[in-house]
Amino acid sequence: MRALLAVLLLLPVAGFSQAGQMVALPGQSPLVNLRFVFLTGAASDPAAQPGLASLTASMLARGGSSKLAYREIVDAMFPMATSIHSQVDKEMTTFSAVTHVDNLDAFYALFRAMLLEPGWRTEDLKRLRDNTINGLRVNLRGNNDEELGKEVLYSKLFGGHLYGHHNLGTVSSLEKLTIGDLQGFYKNQYTQANLIIGLAGGYPKEFLARVQKDFASLPKGTPAASRARPAPAPIQGLHLEMVEKNTRSVAISFGFPLGVKRGDPDFIPLLVMQSWLGQHRSSGGRLYDRIREARGLNYGDYAYIEYFPSGMFQFEPSPNLARAQQIFQIWIRPLEPPTAHFGFRLALYELDRTIKTGLSEEEFQRTRSFLGTYVNLLTKTKQAELGYAIDSLYYRIPSYNQYLKDGLAKLTRDDVNQAIRKHLQTSNMQIVMVASGCEELKKRLLANEVSPMKYNAAKPDDILREDKIVEAWKIPLEAANVHITPVEKVFE
Amino acid sequence: MMLPTIAVLLACALSASAATPPQKMFPYPYQQHDFPNGLRLITVPTDFPNVVSLYIVVATGSRNEVEPGKTGFAHFFEHMMFRGTKEYPPDRYNDVIKKAGASFNAYTSDDLTAYHTTFSKADLETMLRMEADRFQNLSYSEDVFKTEALAVLGEYNKTSASPGMKISEQLRGLAFQTHTYRHTTMGFLKDIQDMPNQYAYSKMFFDRYYRPEYTTIIVAGDVNSEATQAMAQKHWGAWKRGTYTAPIPKEPAQDGPRQTHIDWPSPTLPWSVVAFRAGAYSDDTKDTAALDLLSFLAFSENSPLYRKLVLEDQKVDMLRADNADHVDPYLFVIYARVKKTSDMDSVREQILATLAGFKDTLVSAEELDKVKRHVRYSFALGMDDSEAVASILASYVALRRTPETINRVYDLYSQITPEDIRNAARKYFIESGRTTVTLTGVSK
Repeated sequence: MRALLAVLLLLPVAGFSQAGQMVALPGQSPLVNLRFVFLTGAASDPAAQPGLASLTASMLARGGSSKLAYREIVDAMFPMATSIHSQVDKEMTTFSAVTHVDNLDAFYALFRAMLLEPGWRTEDLKRLRDNTINGLRVNLRGNNDEELGKEVLYSKLFGGHLYGHHNLGTVSSLEKLTIGDLQGFYKNQYTQANLIIGLAGGYPKEFLARVQKDFASLPKGTPAASRARPAPAPIQGLHLEMVEKNTRSVAISFGFPLGVKRGDPDFIPLLVMQSWLGQHRSSGGRLYDRIREARGLNYGDYAYIEYFPSGMFQFEPSPNLARAQQIFQIWIRPLEPPTAHFGFRLALYELDRTIKTGLSEEEFQRTRSFLGTYVNLLTKTKQAELGYAIDSLYYRIPSYNQYLKDGLAKLTRDDVNQAIRKHLQTSNMQIVMVASGCEELKKRLLANEVSPMKYNAAKPDDILREDKIVEAWKIPLEAANVHITPVEKVFE
Repeated sequence: MMLPTIAVLLACALSASAATPPQKMFPYPYQQHDFPNGLRLITVPTDFPNVVSLYIVVATGSRNEVEPGKTGFAHFFEHMMFRGTKEYPPDRYNDVIKKAGASFNAYTSDDLTAYHTTFSKADLETMLRMEADRFQNLSYSEDVFKTEALAVLGEYNKTSASPGMKISEQLRGLAFQTHTYRHTTMGFLKDIQDMPNQYAYSKMFFDRYYRPEYTTIIVAGDVNSEATQAMAQKHWGAWKRGTYTAPIPKEPAQDGPRQTHIDWPSPTLPWSVVAFRAGAYSDDTKDTAALDLLSFLAFSENSPLYRKLVLEDQKVDMLRADNADHVDPYLFVIYARVKKTSDMDSVREQILATLAGFKDTLVSAEELDKVKRHVRYSFALGMDDSEAVASILASYVALRRTPETINRVYDLYSQITPEDIRNAARKYFIESGRTTVTLTGVSK
């Protein structure tokens, strides 16, 4: 186990001379991982300035310091083959980097200056604002139907809530943000009280104290309210948001807010359900088996009980996306337009079946066994180990591995099936579809037209019998709850 | 035997100055064993505890798709490998994976198909046994085959919203006329749509390429090499060698500049892509190594052109060059995403002028040394767990079937001189070997 090489230290805020909480994983590796998390993010964006937290973090990670222009920083970092990566979510802003211990002093001098003495140059703001706007307009809206569908879903689930806007903001807000706005956000949010410092690897002993002393120059601040956010307004009935764009397939995501997070009694039972119903990017989940393996409708189908962005690019979730309010979500990968109606019905049918039937004892035992071991793989890198330890501080739980293993050991099938019945439902949901020809699909959905499947190969009788039920599965959508938005209006 | 710690090994690898041949770049002691049937096993004990990563690399990819109408087949076949055997049907395979808490997947590229699983060390023999079974006894019905073909179409669909695949399709189709690099690994849409009709061909594909002489097993992590070898012998030793060698067509020299434009049917930022015919991967001649370093000198974040186009003028938001390793001669490609269509010509001219500059002017030893440091540290920073070690190794194994090639190619990097850079620029950046692809979207 990693614990043999690395001692996990959780040091609380200590006196005037040291900054923040610290997660330290000293070890023998020549690689030193830095992961600094501020308990602030898009939930702290002022209502009229969505994107402020994100652009501020970009200016620190990809902009100059007071003494060095960004190009000079890039020059200095290039021979070390390193850079600073930033990630902004609702409650956490993360700055991470890895450097070889040979270069630790030189790299840390740059890292420290970028985070503590930002340069706030206009040319950096212009470049990073352009990048962010292109991130929304081109990378998300233009090039990635699946991520677009998911992000629209998240924004709808949290409509009117602090979590209700995209982390990058909106184009119109980004266009107005000034250097002064960013400096104000930095001053108020980048405080010692909000900071958790993560270090791992073969750094010298005295490095730890040096970092704490340096970051004690941040304002003391008061701890963020990031753990106590109200639940979003409940969804009444089924709501469908359709995004009209020129695309060859139909990307679908749907779900509802979930008031269960790590540390809550029903979290581990629901995690077992999630893994059984749709373990991310893995075959063997119920949705994957029935939609892709048995019928070949698409590339994969998965379920989630925590926010999981960029799922098409990664197999394990990124840490430090901890939130006070979570989501239940089903992700249906793009369907061919003629089978979209059926595919969506099949996912609803499977969710309904999950609630009615739950897991069998054999399914429960198998999934529990999987999660108990799989958790080791989630923390296989030092960055992930640091990230999970920091998330555990946020959720006030022991190390995630321990939390999960202890919880799974006590768990019964009944716990899982009761949690399913308590938290899952099919009546009040937000659905998002990204498609071409939304008007036509809308009509078919509202009319509840039968959507029979035609296959290119013989299918077993049980599939054909099930299809007869699924093809006529009633979806109680009302016209007033269906909206079509042209893609160019989304996140604008 | 006590293993030297990775700290000591990496320190040796990185401490040498650019001018002195360094210690071996691949820092782990490894064992390489060839079985009589042609199978090769590489075991890499690392000092990351408990976890083992198993990569099975088959030296076949879209490069091997030599028959017309069969583009994308290597990748499709990767899917079929998850459709089970008599002993391990998919449900049982998944049960074993679930009980082990393993993560598993596979990928296909131009030159290789790799199947990878990461798990706790106690499960190594179970995994080797189960994998040996599917590589030797794969069995699927035509109905299952037809259903899986639709999942491949689903994979095409999920990628089709991005211009990247279209650019790659057009670039390859234009730059190559006979070699199989002329199509992408995903394959042409018409061939993907015809896949359900290719059941008989799939059997032949398996018979040709899923053979020990095409396969290398990499086991990295908390492992004992001798014990692993005995397990491999037990489960893979009886696998029969094949006889097939694909007639990969040789690409003639390019006879002049080629150019095409893509009208993308949605709003997007314009792309300007310039490619030159380049060499094959080599660990014993300097050309390709020099081009690798040149790609950083000319287009990395600290290059003068990046500084001008991205940081100062801010006309481009993405600029990168790629001299991707390939078994056969491939392409040196420069990608620029331009903010305004009106700047596309000027950006392309600046890219070409930059390349021309390397033909005329010797780079400074200092700049070259920075790049050499960058590539060495970049390699070292990438190996932060056993899975990463196995994954990096897999990409090289497809090219030369041994970790030693990493040491050789990094030795070559350390030997590259400013004159080598100039020679490579003069040899490869010639007008007759150039292919240009531009893409613009509809206006909003």
